Amino acid sequence: VSAPRDPHEFNLFDSEFARCPQPVYARMNAECPVSRQALTGTPIIARYEDVLFALRHPEIFSSEMELQMALGTERPMIPQQIDPPAQTRYRKLLDPHFSRKRMAALEPALRAQANALIDRFEADGRCDFDPAFAIPLPCSAFLSLLGLPQSDLELFLRLKNGIIRPALDRYDPESALRIRKESGRQIYAYFEALIDERRARPRDDLMSELVRLGPEGEGLSRNELLDICFLLLLAGLDTVTATLGCNVAYLAANPVQRRRLVEDPGLIPDAVEELLRWETPVAGVPRVVKRSVTLGGVTLREGELVTLLLGASNVDAGEFEEPERVDFERARNRHLAFGGGPHRCLGSHLARMELRVALEEWHRRIPDYALEPGATPRYSPGIREVMHLPLVWPA
Amino acid sequence: VACVKVSVDRARCVGHGRCYELAPEVFGEDERGHARPLHEEVAPGHEAQARRAERNCPERAIAVEG
Repeated sequence: VSAPRDPHEFNLFDSEFARCPQPVYARMNAECPVSRQALTGTPIIARYEDVLFALRHPEIFSSEMELQMALGTERPMIPQQIDPPAQTRYRKLLDPHFSRKRMAALEPALRAQANALIDRFEADGRCDFDPAFAIPLPCSAFLSLLGLPQSDLELFLRLKNGIIRPALDRYDPESALRIRKESGRQIYAYFEALIDERRARPRDDLMSELVRLGPEGEGLSRNELLDICFLLLLAGLDTVTATLGCNVAYLAANPVQRRRLVEDPGLIPDAVEELLRWETPVAGVPRVVKRSVTLGGVTLREGELVTLLLGASNVDAGEFEEPERVDFERARNRHLAFGGGPHRCLGSHLARMELRVALEEWHRRIPDYALEPGATPRYSPGIREVMHLPLVWPA
Repeated sequence: VACVKVSVDRARCVGHGRCYELAPEVFGEDERGHARPLHEEVAPGHEAQARRAERNCPERAIAVEG
């Protein structure tokens, strides 16, 4: 007989929760704005106002934590795992290279890459969306951004997976860390060589621009450059992959909404925002409490690791009208899918462009698709990647 | 005719970019992608844009008056 379930405990790593988290979020927002992780007991902050407060106060909710080294890095990733004021210097250097204007320059190449992927399977009338489209497209964008050859796509997917999903027959933390560290070493080595190459022969790409920022004066040291590259690889690929999967799974299951996007592609930018709110594929972000603080009636103690549950904030009725309705014409949408405060996602303008272009090209080419009859999409916990999403359409 | 004024709280703006996306006649961006009003006074006909930007700023950095 299992023990009675504590109503204030939730398992964020449950696959059913990953598939359909919104009803759980609603319960958290209504009944326990600060709950606990079932396995670790660490606090989960749900409500919009509380999460926004935490995001805006890095002096209380720090991004500098021991946990970061579990990903095979030798130092914190820049700027994500560094607090202001040091973080501010990095953002001032990096933000101009990730502005909406800069990202627009990558759009034509990305549109061509999306179409090249669709060319491969359109006539089949079926595909598994994750490996066929959602995984390779953001990797292509990453390669274009850094000025790397598209032929390195498989290599990058392998290195990234070695960190995020170490291939093991049976998971054990020690072997996982060993694989992560080995992948980490290969990533460092690849970027070390790239830094040298671009320093010797600069080109018109982001890597050359970053190298030009250092190492003299206000520029970036070699280690700083490596720690930025590591972040771009780990934060820029899976997140967009997961968002594409969540969006297309939603649209496959909701043909009336999909039909509207097919008939009026001008709605796609607003649909991207609303689906970011509703799906919030990066469901939560970690912070460590620097000094005791009371939030949602609960005192958080210094040193506690907390999860800011962006997904729950994004369906909080205190912030959103009819939060359970997916409304592409929502008048007020201040969602926190990209976080907020000083750590607002560095790549948000790139991600938005990728999502818009992908949905535009997909629906132009394959307007009538459905989940394969009898299939069940499978969502990974943490970052909600739809790892199994078989789609069919009239070929 | 009363005129509508906009401002961006630079201490709050972190560059989400919703305002210059939704209200390109009212807001522009600096080098970092942080928002700035193109003019303090909103040109006639663009008031709805300005208010839409205000309603969609996650940082509550935009004020529309008048």
